[in-house]
Amino acid sequence: MSGTVLWWGLAALAVVGALAVIAAREIMRMLLALGMFLLGVAGLYAYYGLQMLAVAELFVYIGGVLVLFLFAITSMGRDSEGRVVARRLDVGAIAVSAGVSVVLLVALQDALPAASGASLTVEQTAEALLGPLLPLFEVVGVLLLVALAAALAIVEGGDGR
Amino acid sequence: MTSLVLSCTLIGIGLYGVLTRRDLVAVLASIEVMLGGAQVLLASYAAGVSVPAVGEGITVVVLATGAAEAAIGLALLVALVRRNKTRTDQIEEVRG
Repeated sequence: MSGTVLWWGLAALAVVGALAVIAAREIMRMLLALGMFLLGVAGLYAYYGLQMLAVAELFVYIGGVLVLFLFAITSMGRDSEGRVVARRLDVGAIAVSAGVSVVLLVALQDALPAASGASLTVEQTAEALLGPLLPLFEVVGVLLLVALAAALAIVEGGDGR
Repeated sequence: MTSLVLSCTLIGIGLYGVLTRRDLVAVLASIEVMLGGAQVLLASYAAGVSVPAVGEGITVVVLATGAAEAAIGLALLVALVRRNKTRTDQIEEVRG
């Protein structure tokens, strides 16, 4: 019972954070809402028993990506008062978003395996990632290295040189 | 099933943000919301896959892909800011 309440609490945190991201008019409030959303997602990882992923979400997203967002905004020289979005609701966009969500819901409800509720410890995850999943882990490393090189190339060549 | 509903809701919310926001930072944040929705679904099924930790391994890949996407997206943003373009409707050409 307490587990169900916890799940609903974390799901509400994620949904409210996501709604605040698309509704916020000031860029700093939007980033705070994104942090709230990511915190909810990290909590859901922990709820599902994925301890390592929960910590990775905190470190990589809240500690890394969110700070990267703040750094980019700071380097842009924009203050938190900047107005970034129109408040008017777009009925067409609502229809498209709702349609895509419903299609995904219908398409995936029978395609995915039923969750067993088993928990994975950090040791089990490490054994898997450095054992049978090692090639996958290495590919992720290469992906991040390529992304880093691409980001540098874009920033260096972004002024048209 | 509740995880699937939550995931599809988050993807829908993120998609709405991508379609309606014009500021590049806001579009990137909305994409992060969509990725988060997909990650929640993967995580909920991670422990249900017969081979241990495969679901979690796939979630690690999505997590790293999201981080790489944010890095490249923000690099593009910095490059566009140098040309005084921070809104999607100001970007009119793709060159190179």
